[in-house]
Amino acid sequence: MSGPDVAWYVAVAAVLFGIGALGVLIRRNTLVVLLSLELMLNAGNLALIALARHWHNGAGQIFALAVMAVAASEVCVGLGLVVALNRRNLSLDVDSLSELKG
Amino acid sequence: MTGGSWLCLLAPLGGTILITLLGTRIPRVAAGWIATTSVFVAFGGAIWACLGVHSRPSPPPPGFEPFGFHPMPRGEITTAWTWLQSGNFHAGLQLLVDPLSTVMMLIVSGVGGLIVLYSIGYMDGDDEERRYFAYISFFVFSMLLLVEGGNLLLLLVGWGLVGLSSYLLIGFWHERPSAVQAAKKAFVMNAVGDATMALAFFILIAHTHSLSFGSAFSVHLSSTAVNLVALGLLGGAVAKSAQIPLQTWLPDAMEGPTPVSALIHAATMVTAGVYLIARTHPIFEQARTIELIAAGTGALTLLVAGLIALVQVDIKRVIAYSTMSQIGYMFLGAGVGAYANGMFHLLTHAFFKALLFMAAGLAIHALAGEQDIRNMRGLGRLMPFTKWCFLAGALALVGIPPFSGFFSKDSIVASTINIGWYGWIFWACGIAGAFLTGLYTFRLWFLVFPGEPSPFVREHHHRHGRLEGSLTMLVPVGILAVLTTIGGWLQWSPRWHPFTDWLEPAARTLPAAVPTNTQEYYTSAATVLAGLAGIAIAWAIYSERTIKIPAAPFWRRTLECKFYVDELYDAVFYRPGAAIANGLRREFEEPVVLQAGPDLGETTLEAGGFVRRIQTGLLRTYVLFLAAGAAGVVLAFLIAK
Amino acid sequence: MNALVVASAGNALVWVVWVVAAFSCLGSAVAVISFSNPFYSALALIGNLASLAVMYLLLSAEFVAAAQVLVYAGAVVVMFLFVIAYVGPRRETPWSGGPSWQTIGAAGAAGALLVEIVVAIGMQASGSLSHDGKVGATFGTPAWVGRVFLVDHLLAFEITSVVLLIAAVGGVILGAHTRREVAG
Repeated sequence: MSGPDVAWYVAVAAVLFGIGALGVLIRRNTLVVLLSLELMLNAGNLALIALARHWHNGAGQIFALAVMAVAASEVCVGLGLVVALNRRNLSLDVDSLSELKG
Repeated sequence: MTGGSWLCLLAPLGGTILITLLGTRIPRVAAGWIATTSVFVAFGGAIWACLGVHSRPSPPPPGFEPFGFHPMPRGEITTAWTWLQSGNFHAGLQLLVDPLSTVMMLIVSGVGGLIVLYSIGYMDGDDEERRYFAYISFFVFSMLLLVEGGNLLLLLVGWGLVGLSSYLLIGFWHERPSAVQAAKKAFVMNAVGDATMALAFFILIAHTHSLSFGSAFSVHLSSTAVNLVALGLLGGAVAKSAQIPLQTWLPDAMEGPTPVSALIHAATMVTAGVYLIARTHPIFEQARTIELIAAGTGALTLLVAGLIALVQVDIKRVIAYSTMSQIGYMFLGAGVGAYANGMFHLLTHAFFKALLFMAAGLAIHALAGEQDIRNMRGLGRLMPFTKWCFLAGALALVGIPPFSGFFSKDSIVASTINIGWYGWIFWACGIAGAFLTGLYTFRLWFLVFPGEPSPFVREHHHRHGRLEGSLTMLVPVGILAVLTTIGGWLQWSPRWHPFTDWLEPAARTLPAAVPTNTQEYYTSAATVLAGLAGIAIAWAIYSERTIKIPAAPFWRRTLECKFYVDELYDAVFYRPGAAIANGLRREFEEPVVLQAGPDLGETTLEAGGFVRRIQTGLLRTYVLFLAAGAAGVVLAFLIAK
Repeated sequence: MNALVVASAGNALVWVVWVVAAFSCLGSAVAVISFSNPFYSALALIGNLASLAVMYLLLSAEFVAAAQVLVYAGAVVVMFLFVIAYVGPRRETPWSGGPSWQTIGAAGAAGALLVEIVVAIGMQASGSLSHDGKVGATFGTPAWVGRVFLVDHLLAFEITSVVLLIAAVGGVILGAHTRREVAG
């Protein structure tokens, strides 16, 4: 069935990527930063799937699955860090890591 | 012959180096004897060279001269090696041995040797005697280089070195601020002359590609060029010989030790200007106007110096102004074209002026450094030898026969008669100068020597054993007194003139400057009468006190301030120069140049502080830079597409 | 004519679904970065993931859509919610803190990336991105994905599993209590 061109999907992916990047850059809470990272990864996935559909190449979907697995692992480790930080009563504010301030 | 010239040149240099290297290992008086020996060895070399020149065959008869003069008659150039080479221009380390240079070599090394011998006694006891003798040997070497140089470049080297030695020796007693300032003044004024000479040389090189005496004068230059060259050479001569307008350094140069005044500022260095004119006379003859300007300068100087000498109270300054005046006579002679007469007066002047200075030095030494003649009355009773030697020198200076000055001065004045209407003006100046010379010289003699010794003299006079001074001081004075008395008999222009003949190949007298015998006799009579009149008036004023000097405060003040020339130079040259320098320092050097360093530092610090704000230390900032970099890279790829 | 009407009706349906999915995706993404309470942000992420799954279905990637819902929405977001609840309330407003040029720079960088990607797509759009309808019926089915995974891209499969293992081990170590020294 016909629908929007691949270009539309990739455009959505691009906007989603931009929003995710903005979130990484302006939020101070580590957890929200990780959530924004997820957004960026998903944007990449969307682009992969769309172009796989366009070029009839299954590798795109395979790659998307791999990305999903890696994203999950990364979230796991990241949240482990957050828990460890919290247990030592350290700040979760990203801005508190400012020892390189010149 | 050439061996003699090299020996003459290098012996004093060897003396200097030896004294410098031996340093404090030798006793002070040994330095003096090394110096004296080296200068007398130079004298021996000069005699050898002179004999060699004498034995050369005489030049071809006058008909055979393609350019109007023979380029190198009776002379020989000996070259050690090529010193400077640039394009067509070569300058070798050349010495010229010809009649003119041998005359100067004999004067410099002979009179110089006597004066260095005298210094051994005069400078005895000074802490820095060795330095003195090193300097004075170096001076003799430089002067010999000047007169022996085979091209104008070596002459200029000698010229500069002589100025340097003069500076070193005037400022010898460097703890005295007045001596240091006098040395600086002498050097700066000489530098003005050096600059004009260098410019003249540049023009010469540009036109003739050579500075060698053999070839530089064979090319005919355009009228402007030759006038400029002559003017530049005249500037150098005027500076070195302390003629107007560059004369103010010579009286101040009396701050140096008396032997220095005798050697440098009477007998040799200040006469280098006359030598230069005689040596480069082909150029001056092509620029006749400039040559006559030289004569006019000489005439003016001899009058002005004579006037100023009338009011001086320092014994050495009187003699210094008299030197200035006598060199004026030499310039007059060389300027009108009577080169041999000028050189003859140079010779006799070396004798009697050195004698006068050295006799004055005996008096100063005996009075433990006193130089004011108002305190010195009656010295003759205690120092008869000095008195008679000084009298001989004074009579020679005034030009009374049979002393030497008579023969040389009169021939100069006589040679001005036939050159034109202005010759009579020069003649009148010469006669008036003779009158002034008699007046100031015998003012000096009558104030110092005859009569009862003053209280000051009685109190301060001390003897050297039974003699008036040490032997090393008395012997040269005696020798010079003899030379002063009989030396003039070498030449009496109307009758016999071996000196002029000797110099003929190198510096022929211009026909216009040769007087007839009648003119010669009249002139001699006039100068002698003028001189005797001056002596008589001095006797009347200062000895018998029958005439009072008129008060005339304005004239007295003018003369005492040396016609305000020093003040004029101060206002015209020094004040604006100092003001400009201070202004530059205030406006430019301090705010801009010196601030540049601190400003640069501050700017760097500010820039650093500004850039430092990027280092926020926040993680987000670094991610931002990551993202911006990624955007940039993608942009680059897009553009490449 | 019937086929055409059905086809055109189906076409319109696809478009409608796509628009809804796209807007909800982007809207929830904005919500993720805008809420000050991280809990609400995580919930907004669920919406984002669901709309993405819908778009995957439109793109004939059924297995991936299912995996997305199961893994992402089911496991990852749940983990987020757990940790957010564990860590406690942290409210923090976006756009705050840091030097002023930081926020402007952030907006600029993100916008630049966005624009560039759009431009890149636009430049590629000369012909190569036109809609091409036909893919095989098996395209995107689980069986097909499984076969491609295990046959063509076996290495990627194995490495992914190793990564998952390492992450699991790491997560356990990071989350473990520190051992206390026992006296005696």
